[in-house]
Amino acid sequence: MKIELCNFSGFKIYPGHGKVFVKGDSRTYRFINGKCESYFMQRLKPSKLDWTVVFRRLHKKGITEEVSKKRTRRTVKAQRAVVGASLEAIKAKRAQKPEVRAAQRQQALRQAKEKKQADEQKKKVEKAKSSSTRAAQPKPKFSKQQVKGAAPKVKATSR
Amino acid sequence: MIQLKSLLKVIDNSGALLVECINVLGGARHASLGDEIVCVVKKARPLNVETGPSTAQAAVSKLKKGDVARALVVRTRKEVRRLDGSYVRFDDNAVVMLNKQGQPLGNRVLGAVANECRQKRWTKIISMAPKVV
Repeated sequence: MKIELCNFSGFKIYPGHGKVFVKGDSRTYRFINGKCESYFMQRLKPSKLDWTVVFRRLHKKGITEEVSKKRTRRTVKAQRAVVGASLEAIKAKRAQKPEVRAAQRQQALRQAKEKKQADEQKKKVEKAKSSSTRAAQPKPKFSKQQVKGAAPKVKATSR
Repeated sequence: MIQLKSLLKVIDNSGALLVECINVLGGARHASLGDEIVCVVKKARPLNVETGPSTAQAAVSKLKKGDVARALVVRTRKEVRRLDGSYVRFDDNAVVMLNKQGQPLGNRVLGAVANECRQKRWTKIISMAPKVV
C-alpha cells in the first residue's frame, strides 16, 4: 500500500482517495480533495493558507513538542560493587599507580615461572625412575609369524 | 468526453497537428481514454517544399489537411476513475493517429499517455510514450 502526499496541502493520500492532475509539461500533481485542487487551479499559494503543512512548517507551529520528544537519554557512569570485588577493592585498584601495577605483574610472572620449573624438575625425576625400572626387565623377542606357526626365516649365507 | 466536433491535439509525428472528431467507434456516446475515434485533420505540419527524392517517400505517409483517419484518445480533460477509486485528469485532449488496421501512423509519441490504454491492449503506443501516467 503506497501512501502519497498532497501537492498542495501536504496531507496523506490513502489509496482510493484524491485526484491526479497531469499538466501539459507532463508533471503530475496529486490532491487530497476538491478544495486543494480548486485552490491550486486558482494559483493560491499554500504557504499563505494557515491549514496547510507548508504554512505550519514555515511558522513553526506544533514543533516545540516534537523537539522535546527527540532528546535521547544519556547513560550515567557509576561505580558499584561487583560479584567478587567490593567497592573499596575496586577503588583501591583504580587508585594504584601504573608502576606499582607493573611491578606486581612482574613478580607474579616470576613466581609462576619458578613454579613451572620446579614442576618440570619433579616430573623429570619421576620419569627417570619409572624408565629405569622398565629397562631392568626387557621384553622377550618373538617373531609374530613364528608364533602363528610359520617356518622361521632362513638367514642368507651367500649372495 | 470526446464527441462529434471535439478538437484534439495530435502528439505523434504523423504530420497532423489538430484534428476534429467526426465519429466515436464502438457505439459509445463519448470517447474516453483508450477509445478509438474517426477524425478529420484540421491543421497539419507544413510539407517541406525542398524535399529531395529520398524524403518524398516519407512525406507520402504524412497526413494533410482534410484527411480522414482513425485515432486513439490518450489524454482527456475529463477525469477518469481508476479501479482503486482515485481519479486522473489531464490538461488537454490528445490523440495518437492510427491507420485502418489500428497500427500507429507515426513512429514517435511525445508527452504523457494515460495508463488506461494499456488495459485496452494498446501496448504498442504505451511503449512508444516517454511517460505513462
